[in-house]
Amino acid sequence: MRFFSRGPAAIPVERDYAIDVRDLGVRYNLRFTRQTTVRTSFKNLLHRPEGPTDFWALRGVSFRLVHGESLAVIGPNGAGKSTLLQVLAGIIQPNEGNVDVVGHISSLLTLGAGFDVDLTGRENIRLAGAFLGIDHRDMERRLPGIVDFAELGDFIDAPIKTYSSGMRARLGFAIATAVDPDVLIIDEVLATGDAVFRAKSKQRIIEMTKAAKGIVLVTHDMTWVTEFCNRAMLLDRGHVVMEGAPAEVVALHQERSEQARIEREQELARRIAAVERGTSPAG
Amino acid sequence: MLRSGRMSTSLPARSVRIARRPGPVDLIVEGIRDIWSRRRLARYLVRADMQRHGADTLLGNVWWVVDPLLQMAVYVILVSVIFQIGGDDYPLFVFCAILPWKWFSTAINDGITSVTSRERIIKQVSFPKLVLPVAATVGGVVNFAFGMIPLTALIVLFYSDRLSSTILLIPLVAIVQFVFTLALSIAAAAINVFFRDVGNVARHALRMWFYLSPGLYAFDSVAGRIDGILLDLYRLNPWVTLFEAYRNVIYDGRTPDFEALGFVLVASAVLLVLAIYLFKRVEPSFAKVL
Repeated sequence: MRFFSRGPAAIPVERDYAIDVRDLGVRYNLRFTRQTTVRTSFKNLLHRPEGPTDFWALRGVSFRLVHGESLAVIGPNGAGKSTLLQVLAGIIQPNEGNVDVVGHISSLLTLGAGFDVDLTGRENIRLAGAFLGIDHRDMERRLPGIVDFAELGDFIDAPIKTYSSGMRARLGFAIATAVDPDVLIIDEVLATGDAVFRAKSKQRIIEMTKAAKGIVLVTHDMTWVTEFCNRAMLLDRGHVVMEGAPAEVVALHQERSEQARIEREQELARRIAAVERGTSPAG
Repeated sequence: MLRSGRMSTSLPARSVRIARRPGPVDLIVEGIRDIWSRRRLARYLVRADMQRHGADTLLGNVWWVVDPLLQMAVYVILVSVIFQIGGDDYPLFVFCAILPWKWFSTAINDGITSVTSRERIIKQVSFPKLVLPVAATVGGVVNFAFGMIPLTALIVLFYSDRLSSTILLIPLVAIVQFVFTLALSIAAAAINVFFRDVGNVARHALRMWFYLSPGLYAFDSVAGRIDGILLDLYRLNPWVTLFEAYRNVIYDGRTPDFEALGFVLVASAVLLVLAIYLFKRVEPSFAKVL
């Protein structure tokens, strides 16, 4: 295998895991959001706003990922999946617990969302490298490979704003995986992209898994989870519901979402019934 | 590429723990290291900004030369023609103030939005956000450097009798201004994440600041009207020193007041350290608040 013959100098050997998360908790302060202005803060100072001021997006999350594993994080909307990825990528600091990520990490989370649309594809590759903290000479060497993988043709020298969403996703995926991370973190891995590129990116993910790299991804594509991940974790409301073999976790997730759907429908039916009862005497 | 055969990357390794909160000195040192280690990122950002400014206008980057000239024309018409109070060679006199002020106000305005406008990438990648306001400020320097073209043209064509070797001292004054601008830009960028009012306040504050500083008029005309403690207070405005210094080396052909410049430099450096501390202190919560 090429990896052993060349000596994987980048992977520290003293720890046998890629990611170790223990009792992770992430708290959001609801009083400071993007819409805060001085006026609202003064108002909050004068009389305390009603309702909770804190919100735990994640609480008591523990897991360990060894090299060569690919973990799929699934769960309903608002379960804390993206927050978990952001913590692993070092974008958000946890409020509780320990997060230990060994080795180099690549985290272009939502593929291609961070592009500068006025710049060309090529310039965005360089910019992304600079954001990730990769040496520019290193990035120059990787550039042809990225261009090649993304299959953008002449578009590589056109501004990103002329790209289709599929093209953006391709470029994003090519960059995120080209930087040889020890741990790859991807949010919504195959939300876009044509069938050929899907196959190609699956191929690359599998390659990376074989190369003793750790992968954590969030996806709604359950076939992807069962086919290409060797572990899965179900999150709901910031807690781990289940963790284990992909098929079982996916089964539980589907059962639960089916149940949630039925509950929602029943609730809706009850409300409609209530409205009808309420209006019928009057009418 | 995976197959490129290179296993070593320069991707930074990381381990996050809820450790003790780093002290002020740690944060400041880390901040300076952030800026230095990501200077290439700052360069890309500056270049991207330049392209953006040039790309969607007919005259492109020619505006950087034309803009200060037009602004000069406005003030000359207002002060010299309408109020008839401009002094000798008023166009050059006021141009000495317009150029550095344009850099300053542009850098502050860009700095304020530098973090908030990069919201998407901040939520995607962990990188030292300090680079963003730094790039905004450095971008202003490029703007200022372009302004040297109309300045030189103005002097050579119309005011050749004012041409003096002291003009070579401009970079020295510019360094002092850079440190001062950088400090304010960093602080404003950090505050704007939490209070989006900063932009609105800055727009008016900057305009007021310009009129209160001896840009359109000479410092002497202020000194003639107020004295004592009031004048001392007035002199605390760094732009009194900066405008005077620029005017000394360009318009008067004199060496600037080095003592005053040194004072502003030291004060700005202290301000910069405080700004970096403030920024680094609140940086971890950017991704959550944005």
